[in-house]
Amino acid sequence: MGVDSSSTSNPEHAGGPGSLPRPYFVRSPRERLLEAMVRVAAAKGYEATTVDDVVEVAGVSHDDFDGMFASKEECFLEAYDAVIDVLVAHVTSAFESAAGEPWPERIAAGLGALVELLAAEADIARMAMVEVTAAGDDARARYRAALARFTPFLEEGRDYSRQSDELPPDTARFAIGGATSMIFDEIRAGRGPELQRILPDLVFAVLMPYLGPEEAEDEMRRVTHQG
Amino acid sequence: MGKQAATKVQAGAEGTGATGKVYPSPPAVRLVGSAKRQRILDGVLEAVGSVGYDATSVRTVLDRTGLYRQAFYDNFADKDSCYLEALSAGVAQLEAAAVSAAASAETWQGKLRAGLGAVLGTLDASPDVGRALVVEVHAAGAEALEKRAEAMKRATDFIDSAREAAGEAESPPPIAAEGIVAGIHAIVHARLAAGENDGFRELLPEFMYFAVLPYFGAEMADAEMRAARV
Repeated sequence: MGVDSSSTSNPEHAGGPGSLPRPYFVRSPRERLLEAMVRVAAAKGYEATTVDDVVEVAGVSHDDFDGMFASKEECFLEAYDAVIDVLVAHVTSAFESAAGEPWPERIAAGLGALVELLAAEADIARMAMVEVTAAGDDARARYRAALARFTPFLEEGRDYSRQSDELPPDTARFAIGGATSMIFDEIRAGRGPELQRILPDLVFAVLMPYLGPEEAEDEMRRVTHQG
Repeated sequence: MGKQAATKVQAGAEGTGATGKVYPSPPAVRLVGSAKRQRILDGVLEAVGSVGYDATSVRTVLDRTGLYRQAFYDNFADKDSCYLEALSAGVAQLEAAAVSAAASAETWQGKLRAGLGAVLGTLDASPDVGRALVVEVHAAGAEALEKRAEAMKRATDFIDSAREAAGEAESPPPIAAEGIVAGIHAIVHARLAAGENDGFRELLPEFMYFAVLPYFGAEMADAEMRAARV
C-alpha cells in the first residue's frame, strides 16, 4: 500500500502498516521514553511536562530514565531530533519523487507531504512546531537548524526564477518563515488535523518571493483544484 | 520617545501617576506612570531578553533595577503579569515608533520604509528588549501568545492596505499579507534568537522587496529594495 492521501487522511489508517512512517515503534526503553516525551509534551505543553509524566507513560523506571538522560530537556531534544528526521525524510522523498516536474510543482509536492504528515500526527505536529519554541535556547537552535534543512529545496528556485537578477539573501528564510508561522497558528488554534486546508496558502507563501504573485497564484490554483 | 510613550499607553493615566495617588479601582490605573513601575517594566524586558523568560525571577528583575521586593509587589502580582504588561507596553512603543516615523510619508511604500526602518533601528538599539518581545514571548504562556497574534494582525492589516494603493497593478490572494508579516517576523526572530545584536536595519532593503513584490510586481520591488539601501 502506497502513501496516498486517501489512506493517510483517514485516522484509522494513521500508524497502521504501510501507512506513514512511524518513528517510534515501541521497542527499547529509550524509544518508549522518546515516544512518551512526544506524547506528553504535546498534550501538556513542554513547561508542564515532568520526568514523572514521561516515565509513567513510557512504563519504564526512573532509574532507566536517569541512566539515559541527564534531564527532561535532554530527552526532549533527542525526541525532537527523531521527529525532525521523520519530517525531513518524508518531505525530501516527496520532493525527489517529483524530480521530473517543474520546480514549483516539486515544492507543492513537498509541502503537500509535510501537511499530510503533520495533519495525521497531531502530537508530532505540536511538538515539532509549537512546543519546541517554548523549550529553551538549545531547542530553538535545533528548530532553526531543522528549518534550514528545507533550504536546499527552495534555493533551486533561484535558478528557476525570472523575477530578479538578485533575489534577496534571506529569500529562503522568508519563504520558510511565512509557511511555518501559518502552520504554527493553525496547530495552536487546534486546526492541526485539517492542516491540508491551508496547503494552497502555503504554496503561495513559499513560491511568491521566488516567482512573484502571478506565477505563485497559478500554482496555488493548480493545487486547489487538485486537492 | 521611549518612556513617555509607554506611559501614555496606560489609558486614563493622566494626572494620576505624578502624584502617586492610589485609586481603589481599577487597579491597572494605580501608580501608573510612577518611575518605579516604569523601571520594573523596562527591567523585566531587559532581564527576560538577556537570560530568557524561564530563568528570569522577580529577584533577577530587582537586581537589575536596584529596587526592593516591596516595590515590585506594590505594582505587580507576579513575574507573569509583570511581563504581560511590559510586553503590551513594549509592543505599543514599537508600533508608536513606526507610526510616528511613517507620519510624514505619503505613499504606502514610503510609510512602510519609514515605519519598518524605525522598528529595525529600535532592535539595533535595544536587542535584548527585542528578544524579550519577539523570542521569549513563546515561553510566556497563552495570554502572551495572544498578544503576539494581535500585533501580527495589526501589522498584517497595514500591509494589506497596499491593495488600495496598488489599484489594478496586482491583486494577490488574501493570504499575501499574512505571508509577508510572517516571513519578515521569522527572519527577525531567527536573528534575535541566535543572539545577534545588530545589523537589523540592514535588513530593510530585502524586507521592502518581499512586501512590495506581491502588490506592485518585481520592477517596483527591485526599485524599493534599491531605494532602501541608502
